[in-house]
Amino acid sequence: MTKTARWALGVSVFFVLVCLAVLWETRDIPPGTFEPLGSAPVPQGTALLVLALSVVIGLSAWRSRGEDPPIDPSERPHVVDAAATAILTVAYVAALQARLLDFAPMTTLYLFATIGFLTRFRLRALIVAAIVSAAMGWGAAFIFTRFFVVDLPGL
Amino acid sequence: MIEGLFGALAHLMTPLPFLYVLIGTVSGIIVGAIPGLSGAMLIALTLPLTFYMQPVNAVILLIGMYVGSITGGLITATLLRMPGTPSNVVTTFDGHPMAMAGKPGRALGLGIAASFIGGLVSWVVLLFLAKPLSIWATRFGPFEYFTLILMAMVLIASVTQGSMVKGLVSGFLGMLVSMPGVDPSSGQPRLTWDWYVLNGGLKLLPVLIGIFAVSQVIGDIVTIGKRMERIETRVSGMLMSFKDWRDQAFNMLRSSLIGTWVGILPGIGASIGSIMAYTAARNMSRKPEEYGKGSEEGIVASEAANNATIGGALIPLIAMGIPGSVIDAILIGALMIHSITPGPTLFITNGDVVWAMIATALVANVVMFLAMMGSVRLVARIMYVPRTFLLPVILVFCIIGTFALDNTMFDVWVMLIFGVVGYAMERAGFPLGPFVIGFVLAPLMEEKLRSGLMMTAGSIEPIFTRPLSLTFLIIAILLLLTPFFRVWREGRARRRAATAAAAADEA
Repeated sequence: MTKTARWALGVSVFFVLVCLAVLWETRDIPPGTFEPLGSAPVPQGTALLVLALSVVIGLSAWRSRGEDPPIDPSERPHVVDAAATAILTVAYVAALQARLLDFAPMTTLYLFATIGFLTRFRLRALIVAAIVSAAMGWGAAFIFTRFFVVDLPGL
Repeated sequence: MIEGLFGALAHLMTPLPFLYVLIGTVSGIIVGAIPGLSGAMLIALTLPLTFYMQPVNAVILLIGMYVGSITGGLITATLLRMPGTPSNVVTTFDGHPMAMAGKPGRALGLGIAASFIGGLVSWVVLLFLAKPLSIWATRFGPFEYFTLILMAMVLIASVTQGSMVKGLVSGFLGMLVSMPGVDPSSGQPRLTWDWYVLNGGLKLLPVLIGIFAVSQVIGDIVTIGKRMERIETRVSGMLMSFKDWRDQAFNMLRSSLIGTWVGILPGIGASIGSIMAYTAARNMSRKPEEYGKGSEEGIVASEAANNATIGGALIPLIAMGIPGSVIDAILIGALMIHSITPGPTLFITNGDVVWAMIATALVANVVMFLAMMGSVRLVARIMYVPRTFLLPVILVFCIIGTFALDNTMFDVWVMLIFGVVGYAMERAGFPLGPFVIGFVLAPLMEEKLRSGLMMTAGSIEPIFTRPLSLTFLIIAILLLLTPFFRVWREGRARRRAATAAAAADEA
């Protein structure tokens, strides 16, 4: 099975679960009073369509044959980098929601950590990362609150 | 028409609106030139900044970005063989070989000139077609609208690269995602799981930014190690001679018209337009063997067509409120954020906005041409900005933009979730365009169906008895059946070949 087929299988299973949840949630919606259709049939019909088509995709991915061609080492996916960025981003958003720190220092910390990780904590890159992070953290806070008059998450 | 157009052009020539065109177009070029970033991402991220702007100025800025981003991708497609945006994929076939052959300036010059002409041709069509089409569309009843949107959804799924079934799932899933919240027709909460934050539904912006920007950032981080091959940009040979113009005139015009036509078809983006124009140019060329090895005609066809889709795609948006491409779906979102309802009455209710859109498509095209000719070397350097620095910064912008919509962290979580969903869908080969278009069009589609059924006391008969709705329905069914017909025909050809081979063996 190719990587795309594996992803297609996983995604179609997820879609089937979503559709089942939609069908479950809409089962008790009463029929329309002043109009013939009501609120439930459209989401139910759409969910049924997605469910049926997802089953087709899932089955064809399950049955598919073939392997991916070998990839160049330089083009190998950087899954660890993506996972680390995702974890840091979720932690950053959670920290902003919990108001642990103000937007500017929190953003500076987040950017420094993420850029540092992506550049493998090389000293030269870390110096640049510190400057970029601080400029971005405090610069964005200033520009968005003073110039665009937009509220920022955090304190 | 003349009054509206010249009024908008005069407005565009005043300092602030002109600055918006300039900022929009140049930032579009820069973002388009950076591999991994796209116009859709830029426009989705800019939407929150337009909340406090006049709707006309917001539209000017966003259309400038649209024009710039489609053209900016030409630079990376030519110099790096990495299309800056999906619409520039075909440009890599000939642009990069020509650049490798020591003529990067020539390849860029041809691409820029073709982009300019493509934009100009489609603008003329936009100018003359949008208003008559909108007048015609005012005659649509709810069933016509319902079947038109249905046809658009099937069309989007059928022409999207890859599997049609995946395109359909993507579109229907987008529709499903737009349904949580209090049903506007009945006041009945649905798909809220008794969670009050879902009463207002999932907002367009977090979903858009998640699907387009966050998923792309994730994808870019996964491929962050990919090496870029540098080619020095030389400006020599960028200006086209009279002979070049003469030789390429027909190719430019044909490709521009193909691009415009593809743009008009709902939901089909610039990439399909450039593929179709490239194929047509190769089939009609006297030197088809040069295609893929640095053909001038190939570059011209691809770039003229992808820029022509911009004007074409604006036509259904302005005339009917149906997005002609993914970016147009985001533009519809921008109009709705500014309390403007897209549709055939837009010319009457918000004529200033419509004419600003049309005029900006022209002015941004001119600005794009001048900016690209003047600063291509500078922009070519920007594309080497290390992605390790750029991508986390983009994530911060995504969070700021989404939070600014309603000052709620719930939207930020929605954006992150849809970023992951979008990335998974892309890895699995599901196109994201139909998802966004389904998300934008579903409320309109449901509203039209339900109001139609109220008018007919629950009967769907008018769908089959009204000529237009029946036509749209038949087209939708034919489009749905096309892949099955293709499979049947291929199977028959295989069987015939096998029979012929067996007969030859026996003989």
